[in-house]
Amino acid sequence: MYNRTLKKALPIPALICLALIVLGPYVCSMYLVNLLIKAFFFTVAAIAVDILWGYTGYLTFGQSAFFGIGAYCAGLVFTHLGFTDGNIALALALALVLPAALSFFVGWLSFYRGASEFFPCVISLVVPIVVMQLVLSGGEFTGSSSGLTGFDTFEFDMDGWFWLSGGFMLAVAMAAHFFLQSDGGKVLVAIRDNEQRCAYLGLNPERIKILLMTVLGAVTGLAGFGYASFSGVVAPELTGFQFGTELIMWVALSGRATLWGPVLGTLLINVATGYLSSSIPFVWQLILGLSFILVIILLPKGLIPLIFRQLGKASPMAPELQAAQISAPYSGAHALDMQKVAKSYGSLSVLSDITLTGDQGELIGIIGPNGAGKTTLMRCMSDGTARTSGLVSLCGHDIGKAAPQKCVGFGLGRKFQNANIFQTLTVAQCLRMARFIVEKPSFLQESSVLKLPQYVLDVLKVTGLDGKLSAVASDLSHGEQQALELTMVLALEPKVVLLDEPTAGLTLPERRGIGKIFSDLAHKYSLCCLLVEHDLDFVKEVATRIVVLHHGTIVMQGTPEEVVNSELVQTIYAGARQE
Amino acid sequence: MALLLDFFTTAALLFIVSSGLMMIYGVMKIVNFAHGAIISVGGYAAFMVARLGIPGWYGWALAFAVGFAIGALVERLIVLPLYNRPLDAILATWGLGIVLIQIITMIFGRSTQLVESPMDGTFAIFGTAYSSYRLIMIPVALVLCAAVIGLLNGTRFGIKTKAVIMNEALAESIGINASRIRFIAFSLGAGLGTLAGYLITPLSSVDPYMGVAWLINAFMLVMVAGSSFVGLFVTCLVFGTLQVLVSIYVNPVIGGMAIAVLAAITLRIRPQGFSHV
Repeated sequence: MYNRTLKKALPIPALICLALIVLGPYVCSMYLVNLLIKAFFFTVAAIAVDILWGYTGYLTFGQSAFFGIGAYCAGLVFTHLGFTDGNIALALALALVLPAALSFFVGWLSFYRGASEFFPCVISLVVPIVVMQLVLSGGEFTGSSSGLTGFDTFEFDMDGWFWLSGGFMLAVAMAAHFFLQSDGGKVLVAIRDNEQRCAYLGLNPERIKILLMTVLGAVTGLAGFGYASFSGVVAPELTGFQFGTELIMWVALSGRATLWGPVLGTLLINVATGYLSSSIPFVWQLILGLSFILVIILLPKGLIPLIFRQLGKASPMAPELQAAQISAPYSGAHALDMQKVAKSYGSLSVLSDITLTGDQGELIGIIGPNGAGKTTLMRCMSDGTARTSGLVSLCGHDIGKAAPQKCVGFGLGRKFQNANIFQTLTVAQCLRMARFIVEKPSFLQESSVLKLPQYVLDVLKVTGLDGKLSAVASDLSHGEQQALELTMVLALEPKVVLLDEPTAGLTLPERRGIGKIFSDLAHKYSLCCLLVEHDLDFVKEVATRIVVLHHGTIVMQGTPEEVVNSELVQTIYAGARQE
Repeated sequence: MALLLDFFTTAALLFIVSSGLMMIYGVMKIVNFAHGAIISVGGYAAFMVARLGIPGWYGWALAFAVGFAIGALVERLIVLPLYNRPLDAILATWGLGIVLIQIITMIFGRSTQLVESPMDGTFAIFGTAYSSYRLIMIPVALVLCAAVIGLLNGTRFGIKTKAVIMNEALAESIGINASRIRFIAFSLGAGLGTLAGYLITPLSSVDPYMGVAWLINAFMLVMVAGSSFVGLFVTCLVFGTLQVLVSIYVNPVIGGMAIAVLAAITLRIRPQGFSHV
């Protein structure tokens, strides 16, 4: 009965929650029911923190602010305007819109290109402090430090509240469960693992995070609204930074990035706190603090996954591979066009006067000794902010100051020198991320089919990755990771492909196979490929034209024979003969 | 005149409180969120010193020693395993802060205690009477700043520390024991924290959470200052002045969050902060 498919849709912790919610009022004491109702609302906030921090990697101390605002929406409206049907709707709307709007603003402030790792974390600290200070300075209106009490609210009995709050919590958890398991939901982990790669797959990590924050802000606000309506009390502490850190503690103790861990953990910790904080108040806080430190240091995955081992593990499913319809090749003039591009750091000039064009069907090898500016040249083609002057256009689009994701949208694909992949996703999931902009993945479920262009299937076959679709990327060998990144770049169906030493770390037979595929990419599929390589023999074999870069300028261009046999290249590579 | 003194004394207090955090962040790029609790420990050291009747000024050394010892222990047990996980280090040190505060609460209770100032009364400067103890914080901060900068620029330890800050791998490869440098830096930072708690105590009351209130401001200042103490000095002066101005002319509540908000805006506009001042 309880087979794999069902287990995936409805894991054991979800069944435990369901049983608790249905049976709770019949088996629990009044005190416990009361504790659990509050804990259900807190759990929703904890889920939000887990999604933001555990899955997306954004450490936030500020989710409490949105919970508190939701609570104050209920408290303020019911206190000052009265408890009427119209006002319920008003309070509910405010409790959704205000936290969402503030979340959006905070997200906009926190996430921008080039923000330091700590900056969003810093902002998330400031938010609850500001909100709490505003509440404290609100005088009679907000009740200042004593908060608001005694306002009229919904007249459900305890059982009703229990089922309502529990049902709300379970609904949020199940929605999160399906979203996080879906192909599209994996984008959060992709952002956590590697934002740069996301951008070079045409995704906009900043925008996704802001959107996520906005949605979770509204959900958290709704939980706060429920909490205030149930308890009939709102206090400034609900908005504060202290509560914000408690949410993080609950998530960390029970297991970040496992969803059901924090759900069960938050319920357990809150119940335990309810019973123990009156008998051993300081010791209990001490125990929590100590176990928090120990878990962070020794068990970063948290405690609940020790019981439910499947939680937080990568999907073992290997989808079936199918060939996808490939979009038409670019048909305009010059797929790549660089005019007088230069790059300098202050007075140090790295690239100067680079004028280079590339057409569809060409495979251009770029060679040059270390420090010649090859990687910088690639960066100037793929990131609008990288060059100091000059023009770059991709498939007829002037890239201006466009971000990498925009350039990818124009038809660019870039493979980095070091394998630049998503460490904790499986091979199949990495590839699906790469298909995101071509074919929107489902946000509800995990598809059993993965459609990829024929040349990607070829590379998978040559490198043996097609048999490792469910392997986690970080478990692959160095060469396999390189190959994975290559397939991800090609899965974008780019028109212009930049390949920075794509065969480094591959074995000789693999290199031969890849070389054949590169030729096919250019000749059969009419892509414009640019290949940076140290291995002259390899380049000579596959390239249709070779560009020699030296001291930041193009010193020679020509057919492979011309270039390889030229005196210039031999001088650069082997050193000048001492006269 | 009083306003000017407000600027300088506020800046001095901010510098005293944040220098310990800076010591740790500057060297290891790890944010010690236990700093608030460590400041509280310093406050209670002052309380104990006053209770036992030890003359106030001798307590400095004691406060510093207590903090140094705590820092040494914490570095080995908690921070060392987390060097490669800076965000987790924030969390673990925050957990440590909770533990320290609970221990303090268990020993001394929750209530607020008062410590008598070793220097009472006011001092007339250019015809303006001003609290002597607040005033003395200005030279204290200047001496502290000079001492720390002297330590980092004028001693062998300082040069090694700078090497570790700039390039840890390279520093280790030429024979500098980076792990020992970090150990000393962390202990020093904690010592500076308790010292700060000790120093600010006569200006406020002592309670277990006294340091936490300072933590956020100190954290924001250090973030803006980057990794130079000169930068921190300038940052404290600028934001201390702004805080006083906002408190007086706008509203003291908004003044309380002025540093956090303004620092956040500064970082948004200029991500590198004041580190190249």
